[in-house]
Amino acid sequence: MSAVAASGESLAAISNFVFPNDLHVHWSLMIVLYPYITGLVAGAFIVSSLYHVFHIKSLKPVAQFSLLFALAFLICATWPLMNHLGHPERAMSMMLTPNPTSAMAGFGYIYSAYFIVLLLEIIFIFRPTVVALGAKATGFMKTVYTILAIGSDNVSAKALKLDHKIISFLAAIGIPMACVLHGYVGFIFGGIKANPLWATPLMPLIFLLSACVSGIAGIILTYIILMKVSGKKVDIECVQTLIKFLWGFFILDFVFEMLELFSHFYMATHHWHTLEALYSGPLFTTFWVYQVGIFSVIPFFLLMAMSLIKFKDGILLFFAPIVSIMILLQVILMRWNVVVGGQLMSKSERGATTFHPMWFEKEGIAVAIFIMIAPVVILWLIGKVLPFWQTEEGTETA
Amino acid sequence: MEDMKQLQEEIHRDRRGFLKKVLAGTIGGSLLMVYSASGREIAEQIPGMREEDTVFTKKNFIFIVDITRCIGCGSCCIADKNEYNVPDGNYRTWVERYIIDDHDEVFVDSPNGGLDGYTKPRTDIPYPVRDTFFVPKLCNMCEKPSCTQVCPVGATYKSEDGFVLIDEKRCVGCGYCIQACPYSVRFLHPVTKTASKCTWCYHRVRDGLLPACVSVCPVQARKFGDLNDKTSEVYKIMREPHIISVLKPGMGNEPQLHYLGLRREVV
Amino acid sequence: MEKKYKSSYFAHVLKLAVILVVAGGLGIFARGIFLPETMGQYGHYRGSDIQDQRDVAIRNQTNDACFECHRPIRLIHKAGVHKTVSCEVCHGPYADHVKDGKVIGKLPVKRGMEIKELCLRCHNKVIKARPETVIKVVAMPQHLEEKKVQITHNCNQCHMVHDPLLWVRAAYEMAGVPMKEEKK
Ligand code: HEC
Ligand code: HEC
Ligand code: HEC
Ligand code: HEC
Repeated sequence: MSAVAASGESLAAISNFVFPNDLHVHWSLMIVLYPYITGLVAGAFIVSSLYHVFHIKSLKPVAQFSLLFALAFLICATWPLMNHLGHPERAMSMMLTPNPTSAMAGFGYIYSAYFIVLLLEIIFIFRPTVVALGAKATGFMKTVYTILAIGSDNVSAKALKLDHKIISFLAAIGIPMACVLHGYVGFIFGGIKANPLWATPLMPLIFLLSACVSGIAGIILTYIILMKVSGKKVDIECVQTLIKFLWGFFILDFVFEMLELFSHFYMATHHWHTLEALYSGPLFTTFWVYQVGIFSVIPFFLLMAMSLIKFKDGILLFFAPIVSIMILLQVILMRWNVVVGGQLMSKSERGATTFHPMWFEKEGIAVAIFIMIAPVVILWLIGKVLPFWQTEEGTETA
Repeated sequence: MEDMKQLQEEIHRDRRGFLKKVLAGTIGGSLLMVYSASGREIAEQIPGMREEDTVFTKKNFIFIVDITRCIGCGSCCIADKNEYNVPDGNYRTWVERYIIDDHDEVFVDSPNGGLDGYTKPRTDIPYPVRDTFFVPKLCNMCEKPSCTQVCPVGATYKSEDGFVLIDEKRCVGCGYCIQACPYSVRFLHPVTKTASKCTWCYHRVRDGLLPACVSVCPVQARKFGDLNDKTSEVYKIMREPHIISVLKPGMGNEPQLHYLGLRREVV
Repeated sequence: MEKKYKSSYFAHVLKLAVILVVAGGLGIFARGIFLPETMGQYGHYRGSDIQDQRDVAIRNQTNDACFECHRPIRLIHKAGVHKTVSCEVCHGPYADHVKDGKVIGKLPVKRGMEIKELCLRCHNKVIKARPETVIKVVAMPQHLEEKKVQITHNCNQCHMVHDPLLWVRAAYEMAGVPMKEEKK
């Protein structure tokens, strides 16, 4: 104990000195949104893979929808980044001259590859539907459907068999890719040794788990809302299964988040002295009160109850959206506490700065809200072209 | 004490005389003078630099900051701001004041990065001061820089001659290098919207001049030189027994910026 | 019984494959066009940036640069106790004053009580962090009280700014008093 004190005590004496260049928080709301959105994508994709690859039959109602959900958010995933860059017109340099040693350089390629896989999977899964819709459509919509069907009208058993093989393959490589996409986003932070809050090998894992959690929660919420709005019947078994998965992933997610913190606390290196000051100071409210206290502990027990006890359908459908919203907030709080929280602490190890987002600035709250609404609008537009839900008989053929 | 009074009168009379002579002379004289004073004619400060014609210099430059000499005047900060027109609130170099009391509590401040000098003593130190000193900070020019490692596009790089530089024409302004720098010497330039930092005045050095901060330091607290040159001051310092250390050695960045007389409290 | 289709059963797969290959090819082609010419010349960066870095304008010169024109000051400054103090710190950078040997602008000159501020930036005793072996410091207003003058006196009333001991030394000489070499 005294050995730690000997070298640590004087350093631990926080006298609130922040390096002059550390007063600015460079990564703000946009960089909070970016992992949040990619997380939703990865999570939604995993829901669809649970059906397509792992054959969790009860998830059939949302299997198709979650792909479109993932697509809508994936389209917007780069928006916050582009808005954040000082020179967005040079963004293509990341593809042009990716620096092999940079954790960030891979993003362009990983993102593009994932985009292609997702798009292909959607094209193949929806092809029979698209061909059928195309046959009925006229004018502009007919062109759209022809393009989406890649100019082919062949939905013979032979063609579908081929499609099915390709779909299985795409879904199979899609899972590791979704994991890479998001685990990698975690690594962008986890690989920064200069920042003790970020520099942990657990970071990719935590990011990945919270991605799954937010994706599943997003699907539950939108599924129930869309069903209620359109007056269709909610598939209770599907929701129950989703809730179970949500609980499972959330247990892992929450436990790892706490383990990460606990390891830091227990090892008590000189980094802990800064982290301690951070968690008990500027991050106290957003981390302990909101992220952990309200939006983790409460949903944790709610999910446990919903998974273990068989409630009436009405009660389930009442609590499922509430829990989903809480989980969605938990994840965005976690992103905030990691991304912004990590920068509050100065590299001087002696103090912290503050950060309050403004409503109207380049990377302000208004823009953030706009970027979060955009995928919903895109999803709605996609809904005009492709059906979210499969019909009772399953995939319809002409 | 009568002496003293006389003395003062002398001084006063004398001062006026000097003022007339000296200053009038200066201005009058300089008005008439036409000189062709270009940078080239200024004597070289780094011996042999202007003869070099290779892309990279063969010299092995290091920077030494002598904590025991710094008076915290902020001349370096002024020169640096003038050299690069650094926007307010961003610092390529800055000077920190450390105060350690006899209860081992450490107090650090750096108002406006030391640019305006230190005018006031700190009044919030609860116990008698054991030790107090100034610590100038600048780019550490790491042997293993973490900033260049993370740059996604190769806009910041370590040149063959050991300088870590930023290509303003290619930087995308993502800010990743700013996060990665353990010493917080980088900032996002509000005008060019690119990352920016101290370059040890690469352009001056390649022109045979010392970095601006080194050149103006009135007490030689900042030293810059070629480690290959056995006659250079930095070589002598590095091979003699001194307390020489680098900042945050645990980061593994191996800075080429060395501190003479650094206390362990300094981060 | 089989329905007749216009396209073969693998047509879409083939077309997609072609699209992907063409897109990839276009990407490689675009990379060739947009890649900076000297990229990778010396490492993973634009080689010509080395020259760009060297071309950054030098704005501060040395004291010698000022002496070229300000001859009288040179005589004073170079021989005085302030020879290590940079003109440009007190007056501003060379580039704002002289270009191609011609004066292009005026440098600011501190006047009045600004001068006192300037001097105390380096010589103020209340800032304890200053190593006293390196610089002589004075306490205000004790320094003026010691000299039996009003505490409103400005530093440059007794100290020539460009060589603060010039007049002092001269005064001692006139008074025939030997100057204290070392205090304390
Ligand atoms: C090319 C010759 C030349 C050089 C080199 C030069 N000066 Fe001057 N300087 C002049 C002349 C001529 C004037 C008078 C200009 C005027 O009054 O408009 C002047 C005036 C000044 C003044 C007085 C301005 C005022 O408002 O009264 C200052 C201070 C000054 N120079 C400082 C410097 C410093 C510091 C340097 C070195 C960085 C320097 N000069 C280099 C020619 C030069
Ligand atoms: C310690 C700061 C300091 C330094 C260093 C310094 N000066 Fe000055 N200089 C002053 C101040 C203050 C004045 C105004 C003197 C006064 O009003 O009594 C002045 C006045 C002048 C003037 C006369 C301007 C006028 O109109 O009265 C010139 C020219 C000048 N300086 C040039 C130089 C040159 C050249 C150097 C470098 C060799 C130099 N100074 C170094 C502080 C400095
Ligand atoms: C940039 C810092 C700086 C500024 C500003 C400055 N000085 Fe100095 N001064 C020095 C240095 C460095 C020395 C040399 C100390 C030494 O070598 O012992 C010095 C020496 C002196 C000395 C001689 C001390 C001695 O006995 O050796 C006097 C007197 C003095 N300065 C007065 C002034 C006055 C008056 C001003 C305001 C016009 C002023 N200084 C502004 C840095 C500065
Ligand atoms: C009344 C004239 C006078 C004024 C005004 C004055 N000084 Fe001095 N100062 C002197 C004399 C005379 C000395 C010579 C010291 C000695 O021999 O005691 C001196 C010495 C110094 C020294 C060297 C101290 C040492 O320990 O050797 C510094 C530094 C100094 N003055 C700074 C200043 C500053 C800064 C100001 C303005 C705030 C100032 N002086 C105002 C007369 C003056």
